[in-house]
Amino acid sequence: MKPASASAAETSVDAPAPASSRRRLPLGGWGLLVLAGAAFLIAFPFASDDLFWQNMIILSTLFAIGAVGLNIISGWGGYISLGQSAFVGVGAYTVGLGALKIGGDPFVWVPVAGLVAGLLALLMGLIAMRTRGHSFVILTIGFLFLLQLIAINWDELTNGTQGLSLPIPMWDIAYQYWPFYYALLAILGLALLTAWRIRRTKFGTGLIAMREDEDKAATVGVNTPVYKMLGFVASGVFLGMAGGVYAYYLAFIDPRGMFDIVISVQIILCMLLGGRGTLWGPVLGAFLIEPLNELANQQMGGGNSRLLIFGGLMALVVLFLPRGIIPTLQERLTARRTRGQAGLVGARLDGPLVIGERTAPAQTTVAPGAPLLEVTGLSKHFGGIKALDDASFTVPQGSITALIGPNGSGKTTAFNLIDGTMTASAGEVWLEGRRIDGFPPYRRAHMGLARTFQITRLFREMTVLENVVAPLRSFSWRQLNASAIRGDEAARAEELLTFVGMERFRDQQAGALSYGQQKLVELAQVLMLDPKLILLDEPAGGINPTLIARMGEMIRTLNRQGTTFLIVEHNMPFVLGLCDPVLVLARGACICEGAPDHVQKDPRVLDAYLGEDFVLEDAVEVAR
Amino acid sequence: MVRKWLVALCVVLWALPMLVVAGCGSGDDGGSDGGGGGSSSKQGGPPIKIGASLPLTGEFSEPGKAAQQGYRVWESTINEGDGLLGRKVKFTFRDDASDQNTVVSDYTSLISRNKVDLLAGTFSSLLNIPASTVAERNRMLYVEPAGGAPEIFDRGYKHLFFAQQATADKQGDVWAEWVLGLPEDKRPKTAAYPTLDDPFAVPVLEGIREKFEAAGIKTVQKSTYPADTSNFDSIANAVKGKNPDVVVHGATFADGVGFVRAMKKVGFKPKMFFETSAPSFGDQYIKGVGKDATEGVFYAVSHTPEAQTPGNEEFVAKYKEMFGGTEVPEDAADAFATAQVIQAAVEAVGSVERKDQTKLADWLRDNKVDTILGPLSWDEAGRPEGEFLIGQWQDGKPEVVLPKDVATSDKIVEKYGG
Amino acid sequence: MTEFLQTIILGLLIGGVYALLAAGLTLIFGVMNVINVAHGAFLILAAFVTWTLWDATGLDPLLAVIVTTPLMFGFGWLLYNATIRPIRKAPPSSSVLLTFSLALVIEGVMGLVWGNTSHAVRTPYFDQSFDVGDLFLPKSQVYGCLLAVGVLAGLWGFLTKTWTGRAIRASAVNPQGAELVGVNVAAVAAMTFAVGVAVTGAGGSIVSVLYPFLPGSHYVWISRLLGIIVLGGMGSLPGAVVGALLLGVGETMTTTYVGPEWATAVPFVVIFVVLLLRPQGLLGARLREDVAL
Repeated sequence: MKPASASAAETSVDAPAPASSRRRLPLGGWGLLVLAGAAFLIAFPFASDDLFWQNMIILSTLFAIGAVGLNIISGWGGYISLGQSAFVGVGAYTVGLGALKIGGDPFVWVPVAGLVAGLLALLMGLIAMRTRGHSFVILTIGFLFLLQLIAINWDELTNGTQGLSLPIPMWDIAYQYWPFYYALLAILGLALLTAWRIRRTKFGTGLIAMREDEDKAATVGVNTPVYKMLGFVASGVFLGMAGGVYAYYLAFIDPRGMFDIVISVQIILCMLLGGRGTLWGPVLGAFLIEPLNELANQQMGGGNSRLLIFGGLMALVVLFLPRGIIPTLQERLTARRTRGQAGLVGARLDGPLVIGERTAPAQTTVAPGAPLLEVTGLSKHFGGIKALDDASFTVPQGSITALIGPNGSGKTTAFNLIDGTMTASAGEVWLEGRRIDGFPPYRRAHMGLARTFQITRLFREMTVLENVVAPLRSFSWRQLNASAIRGDEAARAEELLTFVGMERFRDQQAGALSYGQQKLVELAQVLMLDPKLILLDEPAGGINPTLIARMGEMIRTLNRQGTTFLIVEHNMPFVLGLCDPVLVLARGACICEGAPDHVQKDPRVLDAYLGEDFVLEDAVEVAR
Repeated sequence: MVRKWLVALCVVLWALPMLVVAGCGSGDDGGSDGGGGGSSSKQGGPPIKIGASLPLTGEFSEPGKAAQQGYRVWESTINEGDGLLGRKVKFTFRDDASDQNTVVSDYTSLISRNKVDLLAGTFSSLLNIPASTVAERNRMLYVEPAGGAPEIFDRGYKHLFFAQQATADKQGDVWAEWVLGLPEDKRPKTAAYPTLDDPFAVPVLEGIREKFEAAGIKTVQKSTYPADTSNFDSIANAVKGKNPDVVVHGATFADGVGFVRAMKKVGFKPKMFFETSAPSFGDQYIKGVGKDATEGVFYAVSHTPEAQTPGNEEFVAKYKEMFGGTEVPEDAADAFATAQVIQAAVEAVGSVERKDQTKLADWLRDNKVDTILGPLSWDEAGRPEGEFLIGQWQDGKPEVVLPKDVATSDKIVEKYGG
Repeated sequence: MTEFLQTIILGLLIGGVYALLAAGLTLIFGVMNVINVAHGAFLILAAFVTWTLWDATGLDPLLAVIVTTPLMFGFGWLLYNATIRPIRKAPPSSSVLLTFSLALVIEGVMGLVWGNTSHAVRTPYFDQSFDVGDLFLPKSQVYGCLLAVGVLAGLWGFLTKTWTGRAIRASAVNPQGAELVGVNVAAVAAMTFAVGVAVTGAGGSIVSVLYPFLPGSHYVWISRLLGIIVLGGMGSLPGAVVGALLLGVGETMTTTYVGPEWATAVPFVVIFVVLLLRPQGLLGARLREDVAL
């Protein structure tokens, strides 16, 4: 069964299934269409000498390249950029300046244009590291206009608004526009190949994880800064080359035309219309939009109707077809196909806990009982509010430690500071004797620190299996090119899913699961990291008692194998029956630390949290 | 099974717009304007098709429309007379919306789909540069009415010609020479050069500035403002601060008006004032800046309705008959002159075949054409070798003051503001 | 020295008008978390409407504010309910793209209706200035600035003294809390958007007399406004005022001492520097980062 994820249109990905049901998809209908299209485009100039159509295809190909590139960082990475025309402009000027000032055929400069555009994209990626959402989009707009201004004003280099004129090509007039045509087609081919490859690799799934939930992706070991920068470079390189070819085609480069924001808008529109997050959507979009553009210009009188059409179309797409043509079609067809079938999600979980042949967690240098995690003087201020105020505590290796306290005492904040999602205002965090409070979240994940969230955070668009395979235990450049789901990883993921009891849901979309089911999947997900320390944020919250008991069992089993836990919980019977030691946090500081029996009688704890008349009912019975 | 549906749908979606455009494309004379006169082939064959893309909408729409009017006047005149090579002419217009990509598509389409016999140029340097490339690649004659940036002619094109008297860098020459010819006490000592960042305005100023600096007139202020500047107060203030004797302002229209008004606002009046483009807009200009501010403003212009050049009187009359009003825009005159140039070449060579286009270009290079702008002749690269007219506003009326032999007014107001 | 003072004064006068325009934008962002990229287009639209009124009836544009403000209010309200409400829950990129497309559509419509040539309203006092010693204060700038300040004061009063105004501020700070005390947040959002656009309408009328404009001018304006609200802190009204004055002066200083060609760069440089170094701007609030959890 094909996963209904963003990769649905990408038919060349091996279905992530155990070897038994894996099938190499034959060159079926989809592949045939692609081949037919490619053949048509390649053969066209031989069949017809109509310059008008050659021109149209050249322009459409240019936008297709832009949209395919944009898709890498936007469709998959989730960063919408209004600055893509910057790459066109930079590529154009590189070719122009290179050919005019240094010499040589402009085509020779095209790869250089790609390089320069790539460097520019790197810069953009660096900027992206610090901004998100609105701020990022605004920045890309600013980036584009600023570049345009520089091109206009730096006239010693660029000749300003007078523009640069490139020499007319020297080939026989009988060849018309062929070199431009084929050059652009070749670049499109390269771009598609790269996008296809990316989607199949860890890089691609990491990008999608980033799009779904960037901070969560970081906490499961995805090196988000590097992914972002690489994503941008991939989005810019091909467009830069295409911009260079285009400049030669026009034989004239000027800053207003080359850095035009409407080009960026058109690229985004192509991607959105065809289907963001798919491989062929952007191409489809480009070959729909550019002819439409021509139509608007020729039949409907020029600039203003073009604006109306583009603006109107984009508004319609954003409002009514936000995922684009291809994914929406896919969804409709899948829905029709699976109509009347019962979903899996309501089924009850049962079955014994089978831990299977898991590799034990990485050997830790810390002796059992000695501190694995140490927090000293941790403070976090939000304006005038002190969420944590000089909190200090330790978590012994091999323990199941509880962190309890009233709402607002800073428990979740403490977790956020420990796992790196937030930076502390003051204080230190030590893991295994190394100071980690300066490390980014993914580095802490690589060190063996895992964390679940109070409100579960899974990558909703991915399947359960893809979610569990997403975490990365280390980072290496080679790993980026590794296959998205290798056989052994899939096997391991299945094992973990079986452990938590969710193996039947492996191909379900994570967003469709119930809260309790998501919690289980999230646990399996973090286990993939082979963590030394797992931070559980309210594992027993919002689930039924049977599942609570099961949760306790799983924690015990994992703990026996050497995993240390730090659990935030409000469910006292669960906590006090399972954990030792217990840490009590109140008003941002740790006020008590000790065995459960001791803590539940401590007057400070009773005062701050449990209440004078606290009586522990039956502790959750868990086999010791 | 799912995939097959997807495939079918995608093919349809992809082919549909192509078919639509193709269908529309073959009938695309619907987007154009045929001119006056029936296309009856009474006279020696089917009408000669001339294709031109013009900015009928967008930033340059006003001059673009004026140019279209100029072409139409010529078309009517020809068709009411003996025709061209005994055949009627028919213009096909396209709107490039002041956009470069569109102008490329337009000329490509005119050449390959409409299969026009002749091309006529578009308005503005920015549009003519890529358009002329298309023409040059296809070895077709390309005469342009407006687009005097010198770079256009540095590319070694063999089919490109400019139908005005001089390229932008030479447009101010006559005036500059007059200034330098003034007696010592009347000559300005200092000059300021604020300009719009525009491929036309900048070369005009550079041409003047070179001459002035060589003769010892000190440049005290020089600034370039971007196209979207709307507030000229600061710029005028900066110019005022340097107190130049003469201000040479590179402008198009709106900024020309804006700057003059800003000078009034900041209370600055140079001894002499030269401005490009804007003052040639007649009624609009004086309405924009007010009569007092026009007095003594110098500008360069290519056409004057009073000139005694061949065909001018008829042109002016015909224009007013077709389009009304009391003024004839300069851009319309330039377009008419363009058509005259094309006409002269075609009549001399006797053909409009594609293979003879280069012969048309060669003939123009070796010959002079009499137009309503005066005689035009060109150098190797298509640069015209004539002299621009210099105009001045006097007593609320635009007059031609230089060269003396075509002047409409005997006096030259030496001080700005009278 | 005179030149320096003059430059500052010109900058402040312009800044006052900028403040009015930016106020609308920052209000919309503060309440709805939507960056209204179409704000520049709205202001140009208001300018065109004012121009038509002036062209047809000779009505002074500063008086035309009385007409354009309610007109733009209604327009904004309609537009919100038709297009923006559905995407309020969508990620920020959707709202940016949607408002951008609105801007394009409005630009196209303006081009079709009024043409793409430059328009300006030429009032009799347009070329006159008040002369204060060696300095000159252009009359239209002064009147415009005064009017802008007046409208801003009205807006401030509305937000602090009326129930609707307080409801708007409550919704900005805590939508769920506001719901709990009886504020219909959805209706308030529509109202906020409409108010933001109306305020821009007033600003547009003022702009029509100060600068020439054409449909494509909205890019310059929205860049400026974005720079202002980023500098002042997105969502902060006082921040918008401070940012506007600073940017106005920044622009005139750059024009005079660096060169007019770089004046348009000022908003972008501001955007870069602020977003990278101090994303909350001068007066913006530092939000608790995990509030979504």
